[in-house]
Amino acid sequence: MDLLSNLGLGLGVALSLTNLFYCFLGALLGTIIGVIPGLGVLAAISLLFPLTFNLEPTTALIMLGGIWYGTTYGGSTASILLNLPGTPANAVTCLDGYPMARQGRGGVALFMTTVASFFGATFGIVLLTLFTPVIAEYALRFGSAEYFALMLMGLVAASTMAEGSAIKGLAMVTLGIIIGLAGMDTQSATIRFTFGVLGLLEGVSLIALAMGIFGIAEIIMSVRRIQAADIDPDSVKLSAIKPSRDEVGRSWFPMLRGSALGSFFGTLPGTGPSIAAFLSYGIEKRINKKPERFGKGAIEGIMGPESANNAADMTAFIPTLSLGVPGSATMALMLGVLMIHGVAPGPNLISGQPELFWGLIMSFWVGNIILLVLNIPFIGLWVRMLTIPYHLLYPSVIVFICIGAYTANMSSLNIWMVALFGAVGFAMRILRFPGAPLLLGFVLGPMMEEHFRRAMVLSRGDFATFIERPLSAIILSLTAAILIWGVMGASNLRKRRIVPDTAPDGPSNS
Amino acid sequence: MYKFDYTDLIGGGLLIVIGGAVSVISITSYPLGVVQRMGPGMFPAALGGVLAGLGLILALQSLRRQGERPDIRIFSPIFVLTSVAAFALLIAPFGLIPAIIVSTVIASCAELRIRPVELSLLCLALCLFAPFVFVFCLGLRIPLLNWPF
Repeated sequence: MDLLSNLGLGLGVALSLTNLFYCFLGALLGTIIGVIPGLGVLAAISLLFPLTFNLEPTTALIMLGGIWYGTTYGGSTASILLNLPGTPANAVTCLDGYPMARQGRGGVALFMTTVASFFGATFGIVLLTLFTPVIAEYALRFGSAEYFALMLMGLVAASTMAEGSAIKGLAMVTLGIIIGLAGMDTQSATIRFTFGVLGLLEGVSLIALAMGIFGIAEIIMSVRRIQAADIDPDSVKLSAIKPSRDEVGRSWFPMLRGSALGSFFGTLPGTGPSIAAFLSYGIEKRINKKPERFGKGAIEGIMGPESANNAADMTAFIPTLSLGVPGSATMALMLGVLMIHGVAPGPNLISGQPELFWGLIMSFWVGNIILLVLNIPFIGLWVRMLTIPYHLLYPSVIVFICIGAYTANMSSLNIWMVALFGAVGFAMRILRFPGAPLLLGFVLGPMMEEHFRRAMVLSRGDFATFIERPLSAIILSLTAAILIWGVMGASNLRKRRIVPDTAPDGPSNS
Repeated sequence: MYKFDYTDLIGGGLLIVIGGAVSVISITSYPLGVVQRMGPGMFPAALGGVLAGLGLILALQSLRRQGERPDIRIFSPIFVLTSVAAFALLIAPFGLIPAIIVSTVIASCAELRIRPVELSLLCLALCLFAPFVFVFCLGLRIPLLNWPF
């Protein structure tokens, strides 16, 4: 069996001592960061980025992957105990998780969400294992026109489906692409938009951009607004985590539905874990025989969304690893890590670097088991993390961001860029511009330009090439549909949608 | 409450300015080429136009609705950004330890409240922990203390 031997190869890579250690480290750091409100996953990954420079690309990705799915596990803790979502993907968990904690069933809720997370993640990993190689093989036939169309669809979907105005999302994607073009043009060696700064020849540093816009700007907005938490330690005693048989019985179908829903939305560009969790909650409430229990501590209301967001975390890797086209800002960062390590993303990745691909996938299994072990016995410890005062936390984060930016290439220019993008990010928060589309555009921009120019050369300047090639035509018409729906329809829809008061303020998790 | 949504009006205006500047720089400074063989200027020139267009739509929309006064705090960004800038200035000539101390002190001023004991302990902890992670564990060659004169 081909698949079995590949899985064996991956398991061998994932279980090597180094990779196991970094997988554990990633999952641990992810849980901690997920628990602490006011530090998003994008900031966390860019903050811990520099730690991975000296590692093998596989190990680096395993650790960053661990941070990514670890935050979703950890984020539910803050949602349940504080009614404050640790990450936007956990926002709906507040609706029924917090009432459960108020009724003294916080331990049960934490235990059951961990189970749901594990269930959803496992579901997503199976799909990831089965579908990624198939899609990649199909994608080998894609030409530049198809890639350009795919990237355009990813960017348009990511900017119009996200919270807030579609126009602003599109503007930020465009700005991101422009920033991504700075540096030396690969085809003509022309130097663009560096304004005479020699250090910018290789382009703007992804790390400085992400740290500034997500790390520094987040801190500026959170200073003096986040209070250390006050929690009743009795509500999370280990003796109180055992669910009743009735609760276990009522959890199966929500977990299954949530996982399926999450897996689907994880693969689509622009949707991701937050939207999957919201939809799962809506569906559970609608099909339940007693919907009036929702919002008052119904176990179904936490099991569905928590399995949905974890399944989406996993399946988000499908387009990233099979096509090299990330659907969200976090996946764009993952792709950036690959490129920094000199690995070209795309459909050749799986056949060219099988130990990287299969090792990463198997590390997801290992990482989720680690998280299961980490979360259940140490629930009390995570809860204590919530009581660290923010005035000690944020100066430390700033110092680590600066050191990280400096060590990227041992020049202070990167730190200045962090300050610059911190200011830009702050302005964007004030003007209510979303940051995630900018990062996505930044990573995809140079690739898009290259594919567009190549497609134009091949077609001798005939724009019809995008419509004459059937696949590219289908993708482009889908893109147009998303665009029209996003700009026209969604603005009305959004106003009508009843958003709970704990709704995420932006798609910073996706 | 404002009569117009000034936040979006300013945002749209900024987008128009940035987009326009990008287009003008691309057209004047870089070869445009022809569509068959696009030069380095064509793609950014087009994007600048798209950005300015989106900015225009945003600005026009903002005139049709009322807006809320945004909650802006001046001191948080000043102290946080100064802290980062101080680190950038100090790291190369003076080394890691002075850079950590100065930027930690400036950063904590953003709280608008000085806690001398906690601040000193935080500085001490960071000065021990950061070299441990980056210099000892990762083996990066960052000088801890330098005297440039």
